[in-house]
Amino acid sequence: MSDKPNDPVQVWHTMLAEMEKGFNAMANQVMGSEQFSRVTHQLTGASVGAQKTVGDLMERYLVSMNLPSRAQMVSMGERLQSIESQLNEIRALLNRVHADVASQGSNGLAMPRPPRTKQPPSATGGGTP
Amino acid sequence: MNVQTNANAMPDIAQVGERIQTEVQRAIQRSIKGVEYFASSGPALGSTPKDIIHSKGTMNLYHYRPLADEIYRIPILIVMATTNRGYILDMVPGQSFIEFLLKKGFDVYMLDWTAPRPEEKSLRMEDYVLGFIPDCIRRVQEDSGETDVNVIGYCFGGVLSLLYGSIFNDGPMKNLVCFTTPIDFRQMKLFQNFSDRRYFDVDKLVDSVGNVPPEMILSSFEMLRPASRAVGQIQLWENIWNDEFVKSYRMFDRWAQDTLPLAGEYFRTTTKDLMWDNKLFNGTMTVGGRPADISKITVPVLHAVAEHDHIVPYDAAKHLIAKIGSTDKTEIILKGGHVSLVAGANAIKRLWPKLDSWLSERST
Repeated sequence: MSDKPNDPVQVWHTMLAEMEKGFNAMANQVMGSEQFSRVTHQLTGASVGAQKTVGDLMERYLVSMNLPSRAQMVSMGERLQSIESQLNEIRALLNRVHADVASQGSNGLAMPRPPRTKQPPSATGGGTP
Repeated sequence: MNVQTNANAMPDIAQVGERIQTEVQRAIQRSIKGVEYFASSGPALGSTPKDIIHSKGTMNLYHYRPLADEIYRIPILIVMATTNRGYILDMVPGQSFIEFLLKKGFDVYMLDWTAPRPEEKSLRMEDYVLGFIPDCIRRVQEDSGETDVNVIGYCFGGVLSLLYGSIFNDGPMKNLVCFTTPIDFRQMKLFQNFSDRRYFDVDKLVDSVGNVPPEMILSSFEMLRPASRAVGQIQLWENIWNDEFVKSYRMFDRWAQDTLPLAGEYFRTTTKDLMWDNKLFNGTMTVGGRPADISKITVPVLHAVAEHDHIVPYDAAKHLIAKIGSTDKTEIILKGGHVSLVAGANAIKRLWPKLDSWLSERST
């Protein structure tokens, strides 16, 4: 029913799709202009410059207040990262040990991963599940 | 004939009544489901069982647990794009590319990224191409016990895979699959304009902010189709009675919003060498002083591109097959966009079976 041309819902959907297409095309045309690029980057440049100035001032303020500076926090972050990496290594090791234990058969022998012997359907004369 | 035309043009009273009834029911459902939408979280994504083989800052290497009793000899390493999270390829059971590969008998590893930390702003292109990827390849070799490795790169993950393959062209990469991978960056017209070297001071940006913030990356993607987000919200409201639509919307929306920052130095090189100087296309790209010319790649290559890709237009991607040195090389052009090529209902029918067919023949 909704595919009939006189269905108001279908008309609305078509109109919406056309509006989207038209607006995107128009915006792309505007954004593809040199003027757009120049103005956008002037604004971005000003914003980035202001951000850097505020950041520098804030850093000086924090030092004067005897609070940790960004560099000190980053250094602390690096130490935390190193600890996290070591924890991940330990977790990977534990996972492997756990997998080895879980894969022990009832006779106590380790069961191997699936064999790497699979052949493509063309080689086996048809599809495989 | 005239009678039939009139009958089509004027729906009968019963049809109008039925339509009104449907719309009223949907309006009620919208109210109920709308409340549910805001009160609940979306579906759990990336839930195929996996182990973290290695993790180092922004880099994570996963191994997905096999789902078949027998697997192909050569393992696959998927290299994800640095701007987005890898769970786009592992959405939910039944719509997961990873799960599909595992069930088809492939042994799958993924090189995925998390947000680079502030101190990782100094990561350069060579850290990715000469460091992370070879490191992961070596770990895949160790873990699988196989020397050969197949590589699949998605979007910019494809670019990184090409750079890696150009430099390490004597192995161990056995086959290369690229999804929507740009080669000619001049053809990414709007991105070219966004990064116009006359006005865009990439040095100032990187020196000021360190890592490039995700909002900036996301904005540049959304600006390619500025009306689509608003229209998407309207479509969500219209279809909020439809659980499948809402589930799909939430999956893709969450993934799109989960854009990653980019390491500053890496972004600087990407802008200067690729966007400005188009070095990959020109064959003049170097990484860490080593030439990275894709004509040196000779392994079998499959490049899958999307007909309606607004991020990597076909004109930007089409030169890969022409320029690569391989003799066994295939390009497939499929209906869909940049994301729907690899994930979602259409990818299940279109790309995945084609990839299975191509890769299975080359994985023994």
